[in-house]
Amino acid sequence: MKLKVRNLDKISILDSSGDVDLYSSPRLREALLAEIQPGGPSVLVNMSEVAYIDSSGIATLVEGLQLSRQTKTRFGLFGLRPNARSVLELARLHKVFTIFENETEALEKIASIQPFSGI
Amino acid sequence: MRIAIGSEPRLLNILRSVVRFRAQEAGFPDNEVECLAMAIDEAAANIIRHTYGGRSDDLLALEVRGYQDRLEFILEDWGPKVCENQIRPRPLDELRPGGLGTLFIASFVDECSYDPEFKHGNRLKLVKYLSRKVPSCDEA
Repeated sequence: MKLKVRNLDKISILDSSGDVDLYSSPRLREALLAEIQPGGPSVLVNMSEVAYIDSSGIATLVEGLQLSRQTKTRFGLFGLRPNARSVLELARLHKVFTIFENETEALEKIASIQPFSGI
Repeated sequence: MRIAIGSEPRLLNILRSVVRFRAQEAGFPDNEVECLAMAIDEAAANIIRHTYGGRSDDLLALEVRGYQDRLEFILEDWGPKVCENQIRPRPLDELRPGGLGTLFIASFVDECSYDPEFKHGNRLKLVKYLSRKVPSCDEA
């Protein structure tokens, strides 16, 4: 997995690519925990180049979501490939995450979503 | 075909590649190939995380047996015996990290069983039939 963080105006985008699995998901976790901070920017995960994601990768995203709720930070995903979307649906998580089709939509709409106040 | 790898997470992509190759060769459609790769990956990840407790100096082996109507994937480890009745997916209405690997395995293969005769660790057999209609990634 490759991971790059782009810091835009009040938005951080984590561009991940390749396989997000048991080996690589700790790096994604570390980046999410660093970016999701109280009073920090909105955080988006770009998954358009993620070819494979396993349960540890999904667990990492769930952890990011939980932290975003605790810190009242806006958090979303965009660019999911069909296989990633399918496993989220199978785990019934597709309605729990805020998911945008692409970066353009994510940048347009992220500011309008309500940060969660808690689980 | 049988391969053995060290219990290192970075090596799981080798298992996925083997599974994809054999599943494609056997004639599974692309979506089921990916589901099978994920099922075996999750099972192997469980061995590394739970059976071996994250240690990277152990071994696990994958054997793929091809038949006319199915593929069988045999995963062996040499760790402590797994308590089958403690393996269950987490309730899906709980929002917490973890507990999804078992769900994916159960969803993507037709049969899943441990060999009680295997004395030196655990031997897990995952079976996927070629023509049987089962939930797949895209249908789930």
